[in-house]
Order: sequence, then structure tokens, then C-alpha cells
Amino acid sequence: MPEFTCKDPVALNLWHVIASVEEVADGSVQRTQLLGDQVAFTQRADGDFIVWRPTDSNSDSVPSDPAVLLPVQQKYGYIWTTFGTPEHDIFAIPEFDESDRRNIHAATFGVHVSAPRAIENFLDMGHFPYVHTDILGAEPHTEVKEYYVDVSEERDEIVATNCKFWQPMAAAGSTDGADVDYIYRVPHPYCSVLYKSCPGEESRLDAVAVFVQPVDEEHVRAHMMLTLIDEVSADTAIRLFQQTIFGQDKPILENQYPKRLPLDPRAETPIRADKSAIAYRRWLTGKGITYGVIPSAA
Amino acid sequence: MIKLYDYELSGNCYKLRLLMSFLGIEYASELIDFYPGNQHKAEAFRQINPLGQLPVIDDDGLVLRDAQAILVYLASKYDGSGQWYPTDSPQMLGQISQWLALADAITATASAARLHDALFYNHIDIDAARNGAHRLFRMLDEHLWFAEDTGQDWICPGDHPTIADIACFPYTILSEEGGISRMDYPAIRRWCDRFKRIPGFTVMSGVFPAGPAVDAA
Amino acid sequence: MTTDLHSNWYPIASSSDLPNRHVYQAQLLGREFAVWRADDGYVNVWENRCLHRGVRLSIGINDGQELKCQYHGWRYANRTAGCTYIPAHPADAPSRTICNNTYPAQEAHGMVWAGEMAVGEVPALDGFEAATVLRPIPLNAPQEMVSNSLLAYSFADGCSGAPNEDGSVTITAGDGAAVRFYVQPVNSNHSVIRGILNKELTGSERLSSLKLHDWKLQELRSKVEAEAAQSEPLAPMEPVFARVSELLSELPHETTDGRTAELRVTVTKKSMTAEGIVSLRFDSIKGQLPTFQPGAHIDVHLQNGLIRQYSLTNGPGETDHYTIGVKREPDSRGGSVSIHDAVKKGDLLAVSAPRNNFPLRRDAVHTIFVAGGIGVTPLISMARTLNSQGHSFEFHYFVQSKNHAAFKQEMGEFDKALTLHEGLSPDETGAKLREVLSAPGDSRHVYICGPGPMLEATRDIADAQGWPDGAIHFEYFKNTIELDDSNSFQLDLARSAMTLNVPAGKTILEVLRENGINMASSCEQGACGTCRVGVIEGDVIHQDVYLSPGEKAEGKSIMTCVSRAASDRLILDI
Repeated sequence: MPEFTCKDPVALNLWHVIASVEEVADGSVQRTQLLGDQVAFTQRADGDFIVWRPTDSNSDSVPSDPAVLLPVQQKYGYIWTTFGTPEHDIFAIPEFDESDRRNIHAATFGVHVSAPRAIENFLDMGHFPYVHTDILGAEPHTEVKEYYVDVSEERDEIVATNCKFWQPMAAAGSTDGADVDYIYRVPHPYCSVLYKSCPGEESRLDAVAVFVQPVDEEHVRAHMMLTLIDEVSADTAIRLFQQTIFGQDKPILENQYPKRLPLDPRAETPIRADKSAIAYRRWLTGKGITYGVIPSAA
Repeated sequence: MIKLYDYELSGNCYKLRLLMSFLGIEYASELIDFYPGNQHKAEAFRQINPLGQLPVIDDDGLVLRDAQAILVYLASKYDGSGQWYPTDSPQMLGQISQWLALADAITATASAARLHDALFYNHIDIDAARNGAHRLFRMLDEHLWFAEDTGQDWICPGDHPTIADIACFPYTILSEEGGISRMDYPAIRRWCDRFKRIPGFTVMSGVFPAGPAVDAA
Repeated sequence: MTTDLHSNWYPIASSSDLPNRHVYQAQLLGREFAVWRADDGYVNVWENRCLHRGVRLSIGINDGQELKCQYHGWRYANRTAGCTYIPAHPADAPSRTICNNTYPAQEAHGMVWAGEMAVGEVPALDGFEAATVLRPIPLNAPQEMVSNSLLAYSFADGCSGAPNEDGSVTITAGDGAAVRFYVQPVNSNHSVIRGILNKELTGSERLSSLKLHDWKLQELRSKVEAEAAQSEPLAPMEPVFARVSELLSELPHETTDGRTAELRVTVTKKSMTAEGIVSLRFDSIKGQLPTFQPGAHIDVHLQNGLIRQYSLTNGPGETDHYTIGVKREPDSRGGSVSIHDAVKKGDLLAVSAPRNNFPLRRDAVHTIFVAGGIGVTPLISMARTLNSQGHSFEFHYFVQSKNHAAFKQEMGEFDKALTLHEGLSPDETGAKLREVLSAPGDSRHVYICGPGPMLEATRDIADAQGWPDGAIHFEYFKNTIELDDSNSFQLDLARSAMTLNVPAGKTILEVLRENGINMASSCEQGACGTCRVGVIEGDVIHQDVYLSPGEKAEGKSIMTCVSRAASDRLILDI
């Protein structure tokens, strides 16, 4: 087997999403790119998914030797694979298994940006009034109030809690704005889950996950999954809403320079509102990750 | 009321949302799960448009497909001022049609590149699509530069935009999602600003509004 | 890449590329620029990257005074590129050192010239001064290849080409008509041809000439691009992004030192703006003035040795000068009289950089300004900002009479939002204020500045009407409390691990300075808030007018210029 293009052991040893199960159900061989290398995948007659690195750029033949197959897991409605030997299992999203929730694949979008830039944008609330105008925020309500950020040693993930942001039409059918509560988790260098107060049920939270597939250091496929307590909205409406939001972020991400996330604290100018981003950059530095980032020179 | 078979991220649907907003026409959007649902290729939708393409309108039983065709129809029927599509001027109609054809060519190149990059339409020859869009943008930029130099703001002569501007705008402003920079086309970039300041302008995902114009005073 | 390339001037745009309220995107030697013209005509050439999160500023908004980043709405001032507002933290004044990278720029010969490290003047264009600028032609080929091919350019009979010292190429026709071409090196394989004719043409002659050259240059482009496609493409240039200062990479950043006057300004205008009120305009004698924010003040060092604080009345984008308003105080200690009588147009003065202890929130649904007399000055700057950005506000200006209303021209911008209250008695003023402040509500804010008694009254009324403390913002321009400095006490500095003695007759601030602790201060009379320090232990005799009654009762901070310990010992957080 030829060498991997990616030389970063941290990135090689992670589980990565490569496709939504929903989009490969037709049984044909499909291709995508992960960490700079081609991967092919298909669903076998027994229903299992297999993933491998095609040796020939044109051939779609399924390998006969099982030894060349890459590890596969099917989780949260997506196919996950790895180029190495992951230390941890795929992180938990317990809400996914709650029986009264709807789990929806909203979209997989290609974006010309690095995976960590995409994650950092996902953690950010300050852009709501400017990028998601009249949906997730609106001027003049621009304040990012104090929130807490912790790095959980036990689970090795970043958690931001007590996040609040003013949102116009905070509840379905209301015309008044109000603060909406958010919790953010970063359990994987290229994945994040946000929880948001859910209009119907006060004690529970809707979750939106983004699984970012690093196509190469400056291109990603962002896979979006929702797990909601919503008995009213149609799937199409939910999907299209999420696509509208992501479509608004896209030009911002594609206009960020440099495209790889700079980990040098002096590369950019953080403010208090960026606490979770600062924690994320430090966490990545601590992991020694080099793929999709510009490591700190020192 | 007019029914628009609509998808937020489609530039072709956006052309119609723009015109109806400029004209203040009320309409209802029927949301089509273009992606990932592929509803536009499903049988139910192909009975409405056998080509399996968005947008389509249904205006009191008249079902029309093709963004440019629908712009012609809506402007002819609903624009009392006759400025968006001056049916009484053969010269203008000829010029507008010429630029509507260019808008189609922009769709075939810039929009194709965007679908390739964002939604993995891997059958598209991406280099050909980008090069093709650059050829068109060079031509459009030259046209707009000389228009500006003679005091004209819009693609066709006169002091009012036409449906030619509407048809060319969406896939031009979204070109960077297909890896097509507009840095080399400053006259196009200025025209985009002017377009965004037309009263009634609305955005779509991927398009930001312009800032305030200089006060007329 | 040689340093020479980076110190050259290159045209990067035609003047006509920069209409007002537009942001032009340019690139030079691999580095991108956001180029924008402010309403006052100034051309800004900035690195195309917001210092916060790296987003291109060319997708931002030019509102005529400031450039607003599309991602988080950060605002950067005309000329200085200093950040004036961070919407995520509306109550804070941004550190004035947050500044985007700017590059030298000049507008000359119908073009905008820039260079990463260019100095001096742009090339002289003998014979091309009154020129016609051609439509620029971008092309995918290296600069050198383009320049070489231009030598053979021909647009009329008998053309011959010659290179110039500055790297440009001149083509002269048999009849003396000439065109001079500059080739802007965008990147290794990408250039823009910018041509100037040696004649100012008009009408149809101009148009046909422009079209002729446009056509000829496009033909040349096809040939050069074909040639470039045959050769191995050069690696793209990778500009180095400058690092931000260490202070900015950390979250808390504060403190400049005490009363330094680092700026030298000339008084370029002095005029009476109302009865007893003079307005002065200061222009920098060298370089740019630092960025100010609405509500900011400067220290003015007067010719008689006095130092006085005055609020700036400038609107957003007015970054080429500072304007202040000064009332003649009959019982003045000499400051206002000196300004009225001694300072004259053309004088050189030392002033401090602007400091802002009175920041303006712009996340209010509605803002109420209450100004009394000369207290109007910081509020003018604030209201001009809200006005230019379309935020809702009302402005109540209490004056003795119409003749005492200053800055009428600036206030004219406020239109219906302005109400002038003339000659009201204290009781009538109170009644009016009760009316003005009758509707507290979420996201409504009040800004007050005026004489002490009026300020006290306004704060009491606001309190009685149910306005929360955090919604009432005020600035005293004078402390009228009689100061008592007769006691002595011990001072422990927690972080510096020092113990000092403050004797009667000396302020905490003075003692700190004597012991080498560099403290920021400004008014030094307990009004401005600059020298505020945290109190860890001990009781305080508050003698300032800056802290609110709540803050005073809490006892967590002290104004070191006037306040003292009520106990024997005070532990401060420095």
C-alpha cells in the first residue's frame, strides 16, 4: 500500500466521516477524498459498508483481498473510517439514541477551507447578527455574554456552557426576540456538536452536529446531522433551514486567510467572546496536530 | 397567488425571487428538497417539469419552466412601468435577449463549477467550467466598464436595470463558491454593488447586502 | 524576490475604480489589499484581512467613514485602520492598538499607487500628467514577460517602444501620440497592464481611443497568455503575514501610562461656536493622529503649564483632525481662560492620545442623550456615530438660551432627534427629565453629561423611574466635591508586594508614582475614571464622582487620584 499523503499521525489515527449512509444506499461504488488521498466505498449485499484506497484512478472494482479494506464504522447515519489505529472510539452523542427524536442528515457541503477553521466558525456566536441576519441574530443585539469553557480531561473534549445569544423569533410562531441557550462540545479535532434550547420542551435540547471531513488541508466536506424533538416540521423544511444557515457561513469561510488555522497566539486577535476558540486552538496545540493548521512557530 | 417551486441555494430560483421582490409581487414558495433529496428528479416533480429542473412557476394554472423565460413572462405581465422588460422597444428586447443568453452561459459555467465544488457534481469538467466563466466575465467586465464610462449603470442602455441584470447577477455573485475569483473584474464588482442597492433587493444564502449608498443629498 | 520590488510604487487601481461606498480588491506581489475611498476622498490601502479572524475586508462594507468587517461587524476607521467598535462587547472601548495593516498609498495621474514598503513620491510622469487612463487589462502571465511583449506594442503608424527607469514602457507613435504602460505584478503568473495616454481626450475621440487600446491590449493578452501557458508556471508568491502585537494576543489588555502628551498638533481653526464657547481644530504636524472612539477625550497641555481634558466632538471617519469645544469658565483655574485668550490659530500644542472612559454601546434599541451646557461635547461624537449608522436615538440639549447652543452645524445632522431645551429653571429641568426618562426598557440606554447638579438630578430621576444602573452612563467633566487629604494610612500592593505610606497632603496616585509605579491617569480630580484600581481589602473614603453609588458601596475599586483609606490599611490589586 502506498504511503499516505498526510504525514500527521494525529490526523491519521482519527476516525473520519466520509459519507452519509443515506447518500450511498444505491449500492454503487463511490469515491471521495480523505486527508489528500482517494478512498472508495460501497455497500455490500449483506448491508455492511466497506472502504478501501483505490489503486487505479479509473477502476471501480471492489477489492477481493479483505486485508486492504480500511476499518469502518457506521454511526449517527454516517460511514466512518480511519487511516490509522484510533486511540478512542467515536465520541458519544447520547441524544441520537433517544426514541422520541428525529435524526436528520441535513447536507454534505464542500467548502474551500481547512477543517479547524470550519469548526471554529461553528463555535462562534458573535457572527450571528452579521452572517445569519434576522435568523440567528439581528443588530443591534450583538453582545456575546460571558460563558464558561472547560476542557474535560476525562472525555478529552472542550465544552462551552451557559452560552446565550439574542435571537429574533426565538420560539416558533413568536415575533419577539429573546436569549437562546447554547452548549457547545468539541469532542474531536474536526467535529463539533451544539445543543440549543428547543421550542417545545423546556428541559431538553435540540442538537446539531457537524462532522468535518478533511478532503485535504484546505478543503473539507462538512456533514451536518440534526437530532431534534420536533413533531411538527417536515424533514424538507428542517433540512433547508440548516442548508440556508450553512450557505451563509460558506462565503465567510472561503474568504478566510490563511485557510489553515493559525495556532500561534499572535497570528490573530482574540477577544473575550472567543474563549471557546482560544481553548480549541490550545487544545489542538496540545494534541500536536499539524494537519489543517499552521502550528505555532515557538 | 403565484406558486414558485423553489430551492434557497439555487441561483436560478433566486432570479425569480429577486424580480418578484423588486415588483412587489406576492408569491408562495413550494420548497423542493433539491439536495440531498433529489426531489426535482422524482416522478412527481417531473410531471411538472419533464426536464427535472428548478425553477418552475404556476401562475393561475400557467406552468412555466426556465428562469429566463419566467423573467420575461413576469416582467411583461406584472411590471406596469415597462422598465424591467420594455416590450415597446425592439432595440431593447434584442439587447436583453442577447444578455439573457449570456446569463445562460454563465449558468453553464460558473454555476456548474459551484455545483462541482459544493455538491460534488464530479462529472463536470471543472477546469473547462472555470475557464469558460472567466472568458464570459472578461467580456462582461469590458462591457460594463465602457457602459460606466458613458454614464450607464446597467447592462442594457437606459437609467433603469432590466431583467438582463437580474439574469446575470446570481451566478456572478456566487462565482467564488466555484473557485472563480472576481478580483480581475472590478467593473463587475461595482455593478454587483449597484445591483444590491436596487430598492427591493433581497439576499440569498451566500450573498451579503451592500452598505448604504451615498445620500442623494 | 528582492527588497527592491517591495519598495517600488505600483499602480494598483484606476481612480475610477474607487467610487464612494465600494471596496476594491487588489493584489500586489502576492499580497492582497482591500482598497476603499472614504467620503472625504481619502484612499485607504489595507491588508485584505481582518485582524480578528482573517476574513477578507474586501467583502466588508464601506459606509463612507469606516470599513465594517462582514464576519463580526468590527469597525475600522478611515486613515488609521484602528478598530473603533467590537459589537460582541458593546460596553467596552476597544484597545486603541487594534489596528489593521495599512500600506503606503498615493493617488496620482488618475491611478492609485501602493507598495509594501514604498517611500517618497510616485514616479514623475513627464508628459503624461494630464492623462487619459486606459481600461486596465489583467492577464495570466508573469510581469517580466508582459513588460517585454509591451515593447513591441503598436497602436498607430511608426510606433517604437522603450523601457523607462521605473520599469514602465513607453510606446511613441510617429505623430507623437504616446502611451506609457505599468505592469502591476499581482502574483508570479498574474499581472495587470495599466496604461496612460499622453493626452487628455474627450468625447468620441476619447471613446474611440480607449476602445482601440482595449482591443489591441486584448490581442496582446491572448498572445502573452499563450506564451505563458507554454512555460513552467512559477510558484505563487507567499506573503508573510505580520504577527499581531503580544498585547493583542492576550485577552485582557489595558494600561498606558500617565499624563504623557505624545502628540504634537497645530491649531488649524479657532472659532466661537456659541456664547462663551470656543471650538478648536487640531491637525497633526507629522503622521496620522491615533484612532479615537466616540466618547473619548484628550489631555491638552496648555502654554501656561496646565493640563486639561476635553472630549472630542468628531464624527466617525473624521480621522484627520481632532475637534474640541471649550467653555470659558469665569471661576476657572486658568485652563479655559488660557484657551480662550492665549491659544491662537497656528499654535503648536502637545496633546495625549485619545482615551475613552465613556464608551458608547451600539446594541441599544434606543438611546437617549441628555446634555447640559458644555457637557454636550462627548455626546455629539456619540450621536453622530449612531446617526451615521442608522441607530435610533434622541438628543436632549439643555442650554441657557439658543445663543448658548454649541456645534449647531454638527447637530443639524440629527434633524428631528434633537430637542433644544432653553432657559429652564432647575425645577422645570427636573420635570422635563422625568418626562424624557419616563420609559425605561430592555436595551434602552441613557448617556448624560453636564454640570454636577444636573447630572446628580438626572441620575436620581433615572433611578426613581426604574432605570437599571447599567443602562445609565455618565461623564462628569468636573468634580465639585471638596477634597479632604488630611489623613495618612498604609498602602499594600498585592501584586507588586510593596508596602507604602500615604501621608497627609499626598494622593495615592502621587505616592505610587514616587515609588516607580507607572499608573494611567487623566483628569486627576476623580471625574474621568482612568486611574481606577481594584481594592482587595480596606474601607475607602470615596471622593470621586466617577463611581456609581452602588460601586462605591461595594468598595471594590478606588479612584487613586482623590480617594483615600477610611481604615489604617488599604490593599490594592496592583
